[in-house]
Amino acid sequence: MQKYGRELSVAMVLVALLLVLAVVAPAFYEPQPLLSRLAREAPTLVVACGVALVMVTRQIDISIGSVFALCGVCAGSLAAAGWPLVAVFGVTVLIGATLGAVNGALVAGLRLPSIVVTLATMVILREGLRWKQQGAFINLPDAWQWFGLSQRSGQITLIVCSVALLAVLAWASRNLAGGRFLYAVGSNAEAARLAGLRPQWVTLAVFVFMGALAAWAALLNIVQSPQVDPKSGTGLELKAIAAAVVGGVAVSGGRGNLWGVFVAVLLLACINPALTYLHVEAYWEKAIQGAVILLAVIFDGLRNRRQTT
Amino acid sequence: MAPLLQLSNVTKSFGAVRALRGVSFTLEPGEVHALLGENGAGKSTLIKVITGAHPLDDGEIQIGGQLITHLTPARARALGIACIYQQPALFPDLSVAENVALRLEKTSPVHGVRWAERQARAKELLHRIGAEIDPAAEVRTLSMPEQQLVEIACALGTGARVVIMDEPTASLTQKEQHLLFAVVRDLRSHGVGVIYISHRLEEIFALADRVTVLRDGQSVGTNPVDAINEAALIKMMVGREVSAIYPLAESAPGERVLSLTGVGCSTSGVHRIDLELRAGEILGLAGLVGAGRTELAQILFGLTPADAGEIRLGGQTIHIADPQSAVAQGIAYVPEDRRRHGVILEMPIAANVTMAIHSRLFPGTWLRDAAERALTLDFIRDLGVKAAGPQAPGGSLSGGNQQKIALARWLATKPRILILDEPTQGVDVGAKSEIYKTIRQLAADGLAVLMISSDLPEVLGMSDRLAVMRGGTIVAEFPRGADAHDVMAAALGQKKEAA
Amino acid sequence: MSKPEASHRHKVGALLFRHETILLLVLLAEWFYFNAVGRKFGTLDNTFDIMRHSAEIGLLALVMTPIILTGGIDLSVGSLLGLCAILFGKLWRDAGLPLPLAAACTLLIGLLAGGLNAVLIARLRLPALIVTLGTYSLFRGFAEAITRGVDTFTNFPDSFLALGQQHFAGLPTQVWFFLAVAVGIWLLVHRTTFGRSLRAIGFAPEGARYAGLAVERRLAQAYILAGIVAALAAIIYTARLGQAKADAGTGYELFAITAVVLGGTSIFGGVGSVHGTLLGVAAIAVLNNGLVHARQPREMAGMLTGALLLAALSASALPKLLAKFRPLRHSAAPPSSP
Repeated sequence: MQKYGRELSVAMVLVALLLVLAVVAPAFYEPQPLLSRLAREAPTLVVACGVALVMVTRQIDISIGSVFALCGVCAGSLAAAGWPLVAVFGVTVLIGATLGAVNGALVAGLRLPSIVVTLATMVILREGLRWKQQGAFINLPDAWQWFGLSQRSGQITLIVCSVALLAVLAWASRNLAGGRFLYAVGSNAEAARLAGLRPQWVTLAVFVFMGALAAWAALLNIVQSPQVDPKSGTGLELKAIAAAVVGGVAVSGGRGNLWGVFVAVLLLACINPALTYLHVEAYWEKAIQGAVILLAVIFDGLRNRRQTT
Repeated sequence: MAPLLQLSNVTKSFGAVRALRGVSFTLEPGEVHALLGENGAGKSTLIKVITGAHPLDDGEIQIGGQLITHLTPARARALGIACIYQQPALFPDLSVAENVALRLEKTSPVHGVRWAERQARAKELLHRIGAEIDPAAEVRTLSMPEQQLVEIACALGTGARVVIMDEPTASLTQKEQHLLFAVVRDLRSHGVGVIYISHRLEEIFALADRVTVLRDGQSVGTNPVDAINEAALIKMMVGREVSAIYPLAESAPGERVLSLTGVGCSTSGVHRIDLELRAGEILGLAGLVGAGRTELAQILFGLTPADAGEIRLGGQTIHIADPQSAVAQGIAYVPEDRRRHGVILEMPIAANVTMAIHSRLFPGTWLRDAAERALTLDFIRDLGVKAAGPQAPGGSLSGGNQQKIALARWLATKPRILILDEPTQGVDVGAKSEIYKTIRQLAADGLAVLMISSDLPEVLGMSDRLAVMRGGTIVAEFPRGADAHDVMAAALGQKKEAA
Repeated sequence: MSKPEASHRHKVGALLFRHETILLLVLLAEWFYFNAVGRKFGTLDNTFDIMRHSAEIGLLALVMTPIILTGGIDLSVGSLLGLCAILFGKLWRDAGLPLPLAAACTLLIGLLAGGLNAVLIARLRLPALIVTLGTYSLFRGFAEAITRGVDTFTNFPDSFLALGQQHFAGLPTQVWFFLAVAVGIWLLVHRTTFGRSLRAIGFAPEGARYAGLAVERRLAQAYILAGIVAALAAIIYTARLGQAKADAGTGYELFAITAVVLGGTSIFGGVGSVHGTLLGVAAIAVLNNGLVHARQPREMAGMLTGALLLAALSASALPKLLAKFRPLRHSAAPPSSP
């Protein structure tokens, strides 16, 4: 039980927030808006899972927003050109995985620091996309809306999809040998090498996986509106990393689990609408997001301090 | 029966440096074979060749009677060779059980994890070596000795036939050393061969069957342990007679420089310390690992300031709030962990020497190259440091010379009190004697020296007075010439026999 | 002793200057290329333009160098620029303070904001990456909240705009400030104990403490300095554009970090130089400006800068990698332990 202390603390904050909302702004719980809100967060959840796993291996990826946007545009273009659903999904995930592989090759192969590599790829991809699209939206065929289901069913499908993915990843990171390798490499890469775990391949794999997840998230995102916005994904990396940090994943690697990230994504998703219902203006969103990150890190720091003395 | 390991005429060079020159070495099943030699003699290169970390330039290596070409670390592991290094290669954020499992399980990423099995296996291995460690504990929370025991459990678990131990007792308590010896003997009885590297001759005589001495990359001789004595071994290592290695004080100690009354620090567990340091005197601080000696040094140096008791310097009550304040008041500390707290390898020697005297040598924060260079050259000359020049990076120095520069850094602060924490740990016999001479000279020059050492003969031989710590406080004080058994009894907490 | 020392110095010198030399060559190549391709590129006016446009990012890059030397990072400087810009505008327009006083107050705000980073990173020892990610969001968030996302501050008096748009003694006015800060930071990093301490902290964070260095104090000073300089950059930015908006400085931290790393400073700390950073800033600024003259799309600048960064990093990583594949030629140094 003590092992999950961090996740429980975050869950308690979430529950507290939800209780406050139930009392002060019960309109928050109206089913349709709530469902829409959750569905809109589904891509964030998927991306947060990916970046959490990257951070577990003691790396970071700030290019996910750009990969997300690029994959969305690619998928949209293919869809608009009439490609079938499965093909679009397959190709898009492949594109995401390839972009992730580029990051991974530079970080794992050339031993370059991931913050700088993904900074560079973020800018290259973002500017490249802006150049190509020039801000133009892409119109999606009607059949793509909500996978061709009704809005309600589509939203439920999205939510279930992302939570199922999270559950599978959470299970794998705990019960699959490969998942444990991530923690080992993040905890002590040299020891991992000596144990024959091949940390460079593990690192490459996690970046490829991150790219694929970013692509998947982009797909979950584009079915939610009739057009693909090439500027989507701005600030996504910050949201995802914030969720990971609040959820207990350490930047130094080797610790944290995806259920904590799940609760953190919910918590962060609730803050903004909570602000609206509590009549605080939306402009405070970024400031509050920043404050939440700082509070989470301070809380962690003080707790570690207390443990070692 | 074929020897477990046979090296014939092995040669290995790094550029112009010939680390191994035609070394032959065998390890029989069920034997503890000690490997002895000064720093730079080639021991670690030999080990790296055996574990496949370095390929041979010339010569042959046979494992289990089979000639092996192209030995890699993975292959060496598969062939049953395990090495336990001084710095445990463990995963701090993971549990003990998982650490053991990751070393033992196959490295394919696609098999399921069986937690109960992992727990049980770790428990069993730890039990076999008599270690009382909770398999569910995070390795980060274990002490260094406990981590080393986990390493040994891993080696046991891999079913290694050849186990190499590199200075395994360096940070073990007496009790843990006994555990280790029992484990080694257990391994031996199962036909495992152990290569045991240590500078502690008494251990080699207690444990080993044969001993090989390396010098300058060559094997000087291999002898059964009961057919040789300490003096002969030292002579083989050093190539010359080394005698009377503990220089004595020439004159009586001077005035009292530092006195502690009831000093303690609640966070580090040190309490009720009453101690006096005198100029010109070497006060030895003995005790088992974990007794609180380094913690006491950290109080005196301001790393963990005292929150109880009184510290008086030359009669004035002082408060040592941080290392700068310690340095300002004339206290210097040469730390035990040389890798992390010693010479900064990437910075020039001169920068390392002046690291602690910024405010004095560079008033107004402007760097003064000429003054720095002159000071560095003086120290290089006075301490006999072999360096390419003051601007050469710290990493270009050998281990012994790095230690000298670390000392130079603190001597540059013109301290009145010098605390040395394990000054000869990992240093070979030849260089040790040079260090002892230096320490005695420093005391003769008027410094009050506090010398922390886990090497009982050393601390007995060097100290003018000896304090023994146990459980965070000082439990006994002895004058020069104390009996080793009395000292050990105090350290262990046993009742003293009639004096 | 002098001969091995001389050859050693030659070796060290060769390594040290390799990165800066390559960057200098890149810079010269850019200059010649754009001069050939763009009509108005090589003119004095355009050079002044380059200087004007790169002053703010240059300031941020300069002050980022000491921080990265310690092995830390500050992702919040761009957001702080935005916050300081609008607070400067607000102090002048809404609080009615005279401009010099408003400027002084803004510098103070920068100091306090840097102080927040300093307390969390230096005092509480929290990881710099995440702390500054948080303040990156916090500062920008405050800027957006205060201006409600729409408010802009304009109509500054011409005497103030001269700072960003006019000349002084032959150079654009802000360049003098930039030069002063550049010289100051160069001296700080390369010729003072402050800089020496920062490097030691970067190479050996714990070892520096054991060596008696005031680690906490030095780190705090580095982050506070960043805050002050970001505030200065904000004032210059406002003077140059003639307006202060909440999105001022968006993305600047990325360019600043790129310039620093391009200039040869290692993100892991310890290794690096201020002159390298200046070359990095110049390389990026010339590239940005030259591409406009070569009539390339705006986005090309960002893409090429990113590619340049990757190329620079890869180039410095290759020798180490090649060393691994040629064990006989250049092995690890002879073992210095038993």
